[in-house]
Amino acid sequence: MSTAMNFGSKSFKPRAPDKGSFPLDHFGECKDFKETFMKCLRDNNFNNSQCRLQSKDYLECRMNHQLMAQEPLEKLGFRDLMDPPPNQADKDAKP
Amino acid sequence: MLLPLLVRQSLCRPQTPVLFLRCVRTLRCDAPQVLHSQDEHFLRRRLPLRFHTQSRGAKSRKRQSKSQEEEWKTRNKTVLTYIVAAGVGMIGLSYAAVPLYRLYCQASGLGGTAVAGHDADLVETMKPVKERVIKITFNADTHASIQWNFRPQQTEIFVVPGETALAFYRARNPTDKPIIGISTYNVVPFEAGQYFNKIQCFCFEEQRLNPHEEVDMPVFFYIDPEFDEDPRMARVDTITLSYTFFEAKEGQKLPLPGYSYN
Repeated sequence: MSTAMNFGSKSFKPRAPDKGSFPLDHFGECKDFKETFMKCLRDNNFNNSQCRLQSKDYLECRMNHQLMAQEPLEKLGFRDLMDPPPNQADKDAKP
Repeated sequence: MLLPLLVRQSLCRPQTPVLFLRCVRTLRCDAPQVLHSQDEHFLRRRLPLRFHTQSRGAKSRKRQSKSQEEEWKTRNKTVLTYIVAAGVGMIGLSYAAVPLYRLYCQASGLGGTAVAGHDADLVETMKPVKERVIKITFNADTHASIQWNFRPQQTEIFVVPGETALAFYRARNPTDKPIIGISTYNVVPFEAGQYFNKIQCFCFEEQRLNPHEEVDMPVFFYIDPEFDEDPRMARVDTITLSYTFFEAKEGQKLPLPGYSYN
């Protein structure tokens, strides 16, 4: 946090998350997906761009197990990962 | 001796002739007495006149001072009204300053406030800026009174602005009783904090851990694509996200931070 008596410089103001708080995964229902994701990160030198598919899978798992509010994946920034419509089956939208 | 008498007689003349007669009559009887009475009369006549003049002057002076007093009074009243109005104006201004300053801060972006409000559509439409790679390091802290083991599951992650990212923390309750914790976060450098947007995390809400339970806590966030366009952020390559857990007391409710700018 910012030091006291420091009116001139900017201070950090924490903001609430946009969609609120994740409920805790007490039963480890999505633990496998998390492990896949972490493994992908470790393999790719912690490059998030390479592991977006796994993160999408994890969030889908959360939504399926009522651990996250159902949201269309585009709203979570996964538009590029969405499956294309059937009439464009040739195009693959993987990063 | 007759002369003063005559003079006095002339003075007596404007008065009634009776007085004059009296003057003449008493002339023969008792001279000193007459003189004395004449003197008295003379004095009596003179004194009222003088008094009258004096009173006339005093009255006019009084009137003058009265009007002056009134003038002062009105002037005082005007000045007092002005002062009171200024005082009330100052108080009103100090009350109005709060929303005005907030508006100004939003317009100018001072104080680390968000320049533009967040909208959920931004997440949908933002394009990742693939050239700019930023390293996010994670830090986990616990307050001394909470006995959780809290740590990040990755020390760092490389993201680009405009791309959503997922990160995990792990918390473990090694004790035999359930502990409720509540967390807050911090982003360093401070100026980058306004571009760090969390879609969902585990902060600011009570999280309960049962005895000997271990959970994964995800943070889903993204860096605003405008980060790349900000000249102040040109040299920023590393952003540190730091979470701190505190023990939540029974019935205590922490307010959500800050004003709601969004």
